[in-house]
Amino acid sequence: MADTQPIQRPGVGARIETVLSHPVLFSLVFAFVLGWVIVYLTGNDPGFAYREMYDGAITGSGLRNTLGRAIPIIGMALAVSVAFRAGVINLGGEGQMVMGGLAGSLVAIYTPGPGEIVIPLAMIAGGLTGAMWAMLPAFGQTRLRLPILITSLLLNYVARAVTGYLVRFHFLDDSVTLTSTHQVPETARMPRLPLFGGVSLSLVLVILAVVVAWVVYRRTVPGYETQMAGFNGRFARYGGIQVERQTVGVMVVAGAIGGVIGTHMIIGDAYRFIDGELVVSGLAWTGLLVALLAANHPPMILVAGLLFSGLQIGGLAMQRNADVSWRLAQVLQALVIVAVASRLAFDLFRRRRRSPASSELESAAVGEV
Amino acid sequence: MTPALEFRGVTKRFPGVLANDAIDMTVRAGEIHAVVGENGAGKTTLMSILFGLFPADAGHILVDGEPARFTSALDAIRAGLGMVHQAFRLFPTLTVADNVVFREEPTRSGLVDRSESIRQVRDVANRYGLAVEPTEVVENLPVGVLQRVEILKALYRDAQILILDEPTAVLTPQERDKLFEVIRLLRDSGRTILFITHKLGEVMALSDRVTVLRDGRSVAHLVTADTSPEEIARHMTGRDVDLDRRAPQHSPGQAVLAVSDLSATGEHGRPAVHKASLEVRSGEIVGIAGVAGNGQSELIEVIAGLRTPNSGSVHLNGVDITHAEVSARRSAGMAYVPEDRHGVGTSHRASVWANLLMSHQRGRMFQRRGWFNLRAVRNHARSLVSAYDIRSGPIGSPVSTLSGGNLQKVVVAREMSHGAPLLIAEQPTRGLDIAAIEFIHSRLIRFRDEGGAVLMVSAELSEILALSTRILVMFEGRIVVELDPAEATEAGVGLYMTGAHLEHPDG
Repeated sequence: MADTQPIQRPGVGARIETVLSHPVLFSLVFAFVLGWVIVYLTGNDPGFAYREMYDGAITGSGLRNTLGRAIPIIGMALAVSVAFRAGVINLGGEGQMVMGGLAGSLVAIYTPGPGEIVIPLAMIAGGLTGAMWAMLPAFGQTRLRLPILITSLLLNYVARAVTGYLVRFHFLDDSVTLTSTHQVPETARMPRLPLFGGVSLSLVLVILAVVVAWVVYRRTVPGYETQMAGFNGRFARYGGIQVERQTVGVMVVAGAIGGVIGTHMIIGDAYRFIDGELVVSGLAWTGLLVALLAANHPPMILVAGLLFSGLQIGGLAMQRNADVSWRLAQVLQALVIVAVASRLAFDLFRRRRRSPASSELESAAVGEV
Repeated sequence: MTPALEFRGVTKRFPGVLANDAIDMTVRAGEIHAVVGENGAGKTTLMSILFGLFPADAGHILVDGEPARFTSALDAIRAGLGMVHQAFRLFPTLTVADNVVFREEPTRSGLVDRSESIRQVRDVANRYGLAVEPTEVVENLPVGVLQRVEILKALYRDAQILILDEPTAVLTPQERDKLFEVIRLLRDSGRTILFITHKLGEVMALSDRVTVLRDGRSVAHLVTADTSPEEIARHMTGRDVDLDRRAPQHSPGQAVLAVSDLSATGEHGRPAVHKASLEVRSGEIVGIAGVAGNGQSELIEVIAGLRTPNSGSVHLNGVDITHAEVSARRSAGMAYVPEDRHGVGTSHRASVWANLLMSHQRGRMFQRRGWFNLRAVRNHARSLVSAYDIRSGPIGSPVSTLSGGNLQKVVVAREMSHGAPLLIAEQPTRGLDIAAIEFIHSRLIRFRDEGGAVLMVSAELSEILALSTRILVMFEGRIVVELDPAEATEAGVGLYMTGAHLEHPDG
């Protein structure tokens, strides 16, 4: 600490340091290293397990599966980030997805007509239903001062119960042993692209949605106003932004995305709405983790969504071929998040200790007495 | 005689900044020693080094002639140093005594002895004439008393060297005078006082000797009796400063803001504003004086649209805006420099341009059908940065990197740049250094001269007296008097601020 000159360390060491100082990269490296140790401790060969995971995620049908799984993960991450970015803690993605998914699939199952009409109709129905479901906690907060954080979370259970009831007592397919609706007719299924062994057209839609979000965030007044409200709600109010109205707005958008993704999961993937399936998959929560990892940054959501999807698909392959439980993939996901969080905390700590360049930070430092 | 405290060539470098550059300073035992300097002059860094928050890169500090290298504030306290912070560090829900003895509690058979701590605290308070009741709960006390609690904390730990960081920022003139008495008493009892400030009047009134810091260097060591405020100011700024400027008055025009019979409640449903009426005309600055917490903040929040009034009305340029949205008020011609520039006036995570854009983002200049003209936004931000001499990095960098003065310039630039006829300026210069204060005052005066109407709230009486066309004093939610600044004195205004005019001598 006695040095008065800033220390310059050129070369490989410095470059590695630069890479590691990036919070996300650091946490990925950290998670994989720790995962390596964990696999080793369970008595398996980490190199082999990782290779199987990697191969399983990007070779053969693995790539199609990774891209397919990435659709709902990226979509739900986008839904979460739209709200988070505006300072609205929407934990109701799951309910919005489930409600929208049921509404969308019912439209797809029972509306006659060509796919060009039925599919968009189903998506719209799913989106609207998700949006309306999201408006409940939104108005709860703006009108009744019930925190969205709590109501949106609890409404997930309500959504699960409501859809379970509807499937069981009104739309049940008796011909199968599942608690499930009828199958979506072939014509009303989301088309597949002749790419990567037949990935769903929804992939294009979800990428498009991310691009739209990116443009809206950077170039438009609502993008600016939501960001300002997310940064500092009092500042936003002071500047004349109608934060309440905006809260409803972002919840509607988040719910609509969730509903559309739920619809995609049925008409583009499972082809029947099975009670509880969308919940068990935990997609909404994986999406939330991705949004956190990407810090609501749309291009980063694409990258992180693909990464987490690859981890999940690769994890299954690893279990098949290396006899290492796919749960390890979940452990890796969790480690990435823990590492991001602790890295941010560490950063904050370091900044407080070392660089009070401005007088405010100086007084903050003195404040630690 | 060995000096109580000696800094020898203390140097501290932060990335890109030489915060302390070979600072020399000698504080004699039993004197009141003022350390003055503008924000960023290195005062806070120097005190942080003294308190062991970070080590000096070079130089050393002697306490009572012994080299001191503290590695934490606890070391410093053990060595007999006591710091009274600018922002109080107290537990609001605990009593005075609990706060004072915290971590040094008297115990009996291993348990905290409450009655003994109350007795000891009362004892210390009486010895130094600090009027504080140890059993009072801190959150119920006015700021002047809170400060005495802070001083008690240091004295309870038997601090021989007491450091007061900008202690008068929150006090009324009467409270300030009381504090000065306490400080003199402490000196007379043999303690050494280090008094950090940038108010020259206080330096002259209180200190025995002065050290002036500028740009991280100790540029002058003066004996107070042999110097003048002008000389100190010259050392602080490196140039001549006009200290006593009273704004020349103009004849005001039409009423821009009219508030009548406004009542409002504050936090926790406490009545805060009671039937307040006032008028601000174009070409005048109306200054509201008052001790913090007498309804000024709530009154301004109601006018600004951030708080709902219970009764009464607010008119802006003849339009009733009593219940209008903030955006409607702003388009009707209101600009507002809020008291809390960190929490309300800016977003520290947002960029300089995003902060400069706030409340104008829907203006026709910057967007069309919701799509920003990013070039116009950036150019506008750049022109404000240069017109207001805002020292910032690129306009895309977050404002958290700006100093307090530059942050306030961001707020002032934004609020003054759109030709709103009414400007509400709440504590416009609090915590700023002389250069920034001068700058903001000159902008306020220019705004007034161009026909703007200014409603200013300030805890700084000198500011109220220097700038106001008319002075209103608030006490317990009421506007109790209107004064003419040409005839008003600090002491006179102070009497109304403390409600002394209501006390009738009887018996």
